[in-house]
Amino acid sequence: MLQFTSNRAATSLLVWTLVGIALALPAGLMLTQANLSRLAADWGGRPGISVYFELGAKDAPLLAMRLDQQPEVESVVLTSQDEALREFLQHTNLHDALADLETNPLPASLRVNVAASLTADQLDAMAVRLRKENGVAEVMVERTWLERINAASRLAQRLGWVLGVLFGVGTVLISATTVRLAIEAQLDELKVMKLVGASNAQIRRPFLYFGVFYGVGGGLFAAVLLSLGLLALETPLRGLLGSFNETLELRGFDILFVLALLATGGALGVAGAVLAVRQRLFRLEVL
Amino acid sequence: MGQIEFHNVYMRYPSGFEALKDVSLVLEEGSMTFLTGHSGAGKTTLLKLLLCVTRPTQGQILVNDVNISQLGSRQLHYYRQNLGAVFQDHNLLGARTVFDNVALPLRVAGMGERDVGRRVRAALTRVGLLQRESLLPMQLSIGEQQRVGIARAVVSRPKILLADEPTGNLDPELSRDIMALFQQFNHVGATVIVASHDRSLIESMDKPVVELDHGVLLRGRPDGPPSSYDA
Ligand SMILES: Nc1ncnc2c1ncn2[C@@H]1O[C@H](COP(=O)(O)OP(=O)(O)O)[C@@H](O)[C@H]1O
Ligand SMILES: [Mg+2]
Repeated sequence: MLQFTSNRAATSLLVWTLVGIALALPAGLMLTQANLSRLAADWGGRPGISVYFELGAKDAPLLAMRLDQQPEVESVVLTSQDEALREFLQHTNLHDALADLETNPLPASLRVNVAASLTADQLDAMAVRLRKENGVAEVMVERTWLERINAASRLAQRLGWVLGVLFGVGTVLISATTVRLAIEAQLDELKVMKLVGASNAQIRRPFLYFGVFYGVGGGLFAAVLLSLGLLALETPLRGLLGSFNETLELRGFDILFVLALLATGGALGVAGAVLAVRQRLFRLEVL
Repeated sequence: MGQIEFHNVYMRYPSGFEALKDVSLVLEEGSMTFLTGHSGAGKTTLLKLLLCVTRPTQGQILVNDVNISQLGSRQLHYYRQNLGAVFQDHNLLGARTVFDNVALPLRVAGMGERDVGRRVRAALTRVGLLQRESLLPMQLSIGEQQRVGIARAVVSRPKILLADEPTGNLDPELSRDIMALFQQFNHVGATVIVASHDRSLIESMDKPVVELDHGVLLRGRPDGPPSSYDA
């Protein structure tokens, strides 16, 4: 009896771990995707162009004023050469080294924040126009990061689906195999139960519960794995996003997500159990 | 439920062995009948057919005018709930106590635990095993295991009681007690069939006898109650 229960506990633990890992990977990718696309959306809200002027050029204030009057421009921030140097010195300890310089090596620049409704093509066209302005040395469309994040988000989504399907099938099979073993172990008992008049539903029910038990347990394990993973990633992510003045706030890992994880696990577990029961119990010979 | 009819029943096992050949008989509702014959004559096979464990290769088996070979799985479970069976090899659950084994048919039928306890103890008292209720089957003698199987067969007060060599492992005194129990059952309306090759036991009971010989029925007519055993 004791042997039996400790075996059962060990089996449950093993199945929970397997199902937990199988669920945690795609779920983690989906979380990543959700957060990346949110990040991208936040950035997409203020796309912009940086305009750098040639050293000594005096065109910056004028261009800033002209741009500010255009409807598609939301705001323009002018950084003069002096301001650029001051900011630079504030952020570094290179005071002494730069004090020796005779001329200011930093250009004046404009940060042009455009309306969120502007398409990528319009943004590019605007950059082309700006490049032709007097005194402009360089124009940078700040979209590269956005594109990368979007691409990464799409990749995470794809990968999430692929892994989701693969591991979903894996979860069903794990549950089916485990339930089948449980059925085999109780075959004698099941035969006797059928003989004394147990219905197929009565025979089936405990095994379907097994499936739920394994699946939901696996979902719970996946939730634990994910929260541990997030905890481990929090510090490096904070460092990374901090450099973009982004405050780290991972979203999506909430009670609803955990419930969905449990429900998914339970559903896959039951699917496996149904499979096993169909395979084994319908051919149950009584004697 | 209780009238049993066999109409030209043949039973051929997948191995090709024909265990029953053209068996026709009628057992009236509320009758008690002995099924006898040499070892391998087909007694167990006949009972298995009544349990719907196997189906006849030919012919019909009617229980209360219903062809039991055509029962769906749902109907089958109601049919079996009205059937008590004592098996040759006990078929007890090794990991369950005597009490739980006997309680199985009642729990399967959805009876409440209070009634289950009452019924199980009544049945165990009848087979003289009340003090053994919390033991496991393997802690009992073969004869005691046999009696647990009998208690399980009668606990749900089935309309039909099938017993395959129920006294095979019991001493003569206990055998008579068990037979008396079956007879009480029969008196309150159950149709009872006892397969046995114990001639002295059968003779002592003065009940109709059906004899099989290599799968062929020797005594017992399809159109009336079987004749008495007279050899
Ligand atoms: N599953 C089976 N497959 C093939 N032959 C079987 C099977 N079960 C029983 N038999 C054969 O059918 C014959 C009748 O068996 P059975 O009904 O058990 O006889 P009895 O109970 O009268 O001793 C025997 O010869 C036996 O070998
Ligand atoms: Mg036999």
